[in-house]
Amino acid sequence: MSTRSRWAPLALGLTAALALSACSGGSSGATGGSASSGPVSGGDLTIARGADASAMNNTNTFDNNSIFVFEQIMEPLFTVSEDGTTTKPWLATGYKVSKDGKTYTIDLRKGVKFSNGTPMKSADVKFSIDQDTKTGEDGWGFINSAIKKVETPSDSQVVIDLKYAWAPFIADLSLFSNGIVPNNYGGESADAFYKHPVGTGPFKWGSWQKGKTLKLVKNTDYWQKGKPYLDSVSWNVVPDANTRKLQLQGGQTDINEAPDWSSLAGLKADPNVEAKTFPSTELDYIAFNQKRSQYADVNVRRAISAAIDQNALIKAALYGNGTPANSFLMPGVPYYDKNTKGISYDLAQAKADLAKSKYPKGFTTTLLVATGNSTQETLSQIIQSQLAKIGITVKIVQLDPTTHKARRAAGDFDMAFAAWTMDIPDPDEWVSFAVNPKGGSHSANTWWDDPEVVKLNAEAQRTVDTKERQRLYSEIQQRAADAAFIKPMFYVPYAYATTKAVQGFEVTPLGNYHLEDVWLKK
Amino acid sequence: MTRLKFIPGRLLQVLPVAFGVTIIVFFMIHLLPGDPALAVLGEHATSSSVAALHRSWGLDRPLWDQYLMFLGRLLHGDLGTSLYFREAVSTLVIQRVPATLLLVLYAVVLVVIISVPLAAVAALRPGGPADHAVRVVPMIGLGMPNFWLGIMLVLLLAVRVRFFPVGGYGDGFAQHLWYLFLPALTISVSMAPIVIRSLRASMISVLSSEYIATARAKGVRGLHLIVGHVLRNAAIPTVTVLGVNIGYLIGGTLVIEQVFALPGIGSLMITAIFNRDFPVVQGVTLVMAVIVVVIGILTDVFYTLLDPRVRLR
Repeated sequence: MSTRSRWAPLALGLTAALALSACSGGSSGATGGSASSGPVSGGDLTIARGADASAMNNTNTFDNNSIFVFEQIMEPLFTVSEDGTTTKPWLATGYKVSKDGKTYTIDLRKGVKFSNGTPMKSADVKFSIDQDTKTGEDGWGFINSAIKKVETPSDSQVVIDLKYAWAPFIADLSLFSNGIVPNNYGGESADAFYKHPVGTGPFKWGSWQKGKTLKLVKNTDYWQKGKPYLDSVSWNVVPDANTRKLQLQGGQTDINEAPDWSSLAGLKADPNVEAKTFPSTELDYIAFNQKRSQYADVNVRRAISAAIDQNALIKAALYGNGTPANSFLMPGVPYYDKNTKGISYDLAQAKADLAKSKYPKGFTTTLLVATGNSTQETLSQIIQSQLAKIGITVKIVQLDPTTHKARRAAGDFDMAFAAWTMDIPDPDEWVSFAVNPKGGSHSANTWWDDPEVVKLNAEAQRTVDTKERQRLYSEIQQRAADAAFIKPMFYVPYAYATTKAVQGFEVTPLGNYHLEDVWLKK
Repeated sequence: MTRLKFIPGRLLQVLPVAFGVTIIVFFMIHLLPGDPALAVLGEHATSSSVAALHRSWGLDRPLWDQYLMFLGRLLHGDLGTSLYFREAVSTLVIQRVPATLLLVLYAVVLVVIISVPLAAVAALRPGGPADHAVRVVPMIGLGMPNFWLGIMLVLLLAVRVRFFPVGGYGDGFAQHLWYLFLPALTISVSMAPIVIRSLRASMISVLSSEYIATARAKGVRGLHLIVGHVLRNAAIPTVTVLGVNIGYLIGGTLVIEQVFALPGIGSLMITAIFNRDFPVVQGVTLVMAVIVVVIGILTDVFYTLLDPRVRLR
């Protein structure tokens, strides 16, 4: 019974505190429209982003820049609710579960058409889910590892048999990788199909000049009548943060997908621009490499955790836009426990913990920082001075993001900044990745190994009873906090800056946005 | 046109240069730490998915083997496939080259428009107030970093008063010219001082030559003198200076393209380096090297056309 545990997530790793957003499973958008006048149709929306999408294959593409785009084209059966904690039917209308929790009967929405005009049927759903499952380790297929088979008793119904009862199943189906595409790719090869993907979403394929601009155009056959409002959406690649800001102020773009925290405050003063933050599931943390002898010592990890003043970090690096983290799970993720006792700032306690460790006089260590990330640079300097107070000398090592990732994956670091965002509304995605040393990433590259926690996690995956799951996840969170396997620094909201004309733009805690709800005020 | 006989020989010289560039670039980029698979997979990376990608990209083979494969493909005109964009490198480069070349050409034209009149004004009255001003003021342009000047121009001419776009490339030639004006101006401001200095110096020396004295005796003066008699001879050293600088510029557009969000090969190169997209880095460097060599040849051609006495072999 292999539990595929590493549910990979799309976290933003190195981009840490920046407000990139996460990817996610479909989701719901908030209906737009401010106040008096209702939405109007028409207009072309331009979004400026730091880097281009990489590919459109939703079953094996991992970066948010791609995901945000293909989510507008291909939609899943269920989608994430506005608050990000549960799912709601999307291309499905509902489902029934058998008593043993192993058979799901799902009714499909009627009148849904692909943008090429053919109606969506159960065969399309079976094909799409099977294709995702087949990618296995090389794509998002592991997320479907509970699935035994998908059957199609009628055109409007699918029955999915699971190998075992699996609590996060509907959440899994809401992931973009289970987005519905036409059966057999409409007769094309996968490669050819994903050069101009077809789905049921509000927008259909337009054009892509790689590294420059990607354009989607309105799907006039969209199943939500009257939507989308926009004629087209273009994502323009503008690598420089300052240029993105100026393009927004100069009226050349409508949305800046990644403003930095320092410019956000300045943008709030601009009468034509709206700086927005949305609750996220982003956790920024410090990874302790427990292959290194210092960090194998729980007292050292606890001492460092207590020596770091989270509020000072938030104030200086995020300009106040963040909340101190108590748990490695984030508020907004189901089963997050706000009563988990995290280690908070207490210098006396930190000194006492270090005195108990094998390094009572402190030691010299390194902290990896990704270059080009001003937030991480600020954080590292504050942490350096905070840890100096308990006798730990921190050397800051700046590396370009790709090298930073490589060093973390190889376990070649002492401390490193990292971040995580959720893709599906179930904690298992991150918990299995973070605490299971066999989850594929050596416990989020910390090499932490607590057999008791691993066992609790396996139980939580198979338990369908929500109360019992809460108990298990609460215990995991407290044990993780006590072991200080990472230092959860803070929870960060997503930041977006838009012109005042942009209406109805909302981002779910999982990071996805629903552009069918967006309209431009004339 | 026997004077241009040197061209085929020069073009042949591109081959060893390109070959040298492939070796250096190939092995240097592999010296960099960092892994393209991690760039693609991000936080999802598990050791097995990384290994699978390495296998499919051939990165698990020995380095020399990878190099021979790269060279073999190159001989068939194939630059390889981008690991990140999953598209032919040649396609990406062909999409990007026009923006860079147009930017460079535009900048050169602006440099000429700025430099020739200023150098002429200075050269006509060496030591006069105009000369001093021309020698000092453009030096400020030389001292300002490109990226900073670019941002200042944008703030002034694109945000404060919206005469020009903040960045981007536009569609169609007319829009390209409009979108590229600020970046081209930024480059030309830093390049013009060098050209002005060289042009002024050679103009002064040409102005003191005997044939100019003859022309003056015939009553030619001012603009007529400069354009009709001085410029052609004075331009020769300047063409060399310009040629060398354009070579540098091809590499130097990296920063400008980044600041102005231009889809040129410079910004493609930066993306590729950050993602450790080896085939793209190799392809772009190779193309840049070839362009630089070709510009060198064009400089020589221009030179022989300006001065019939020059015979290159």
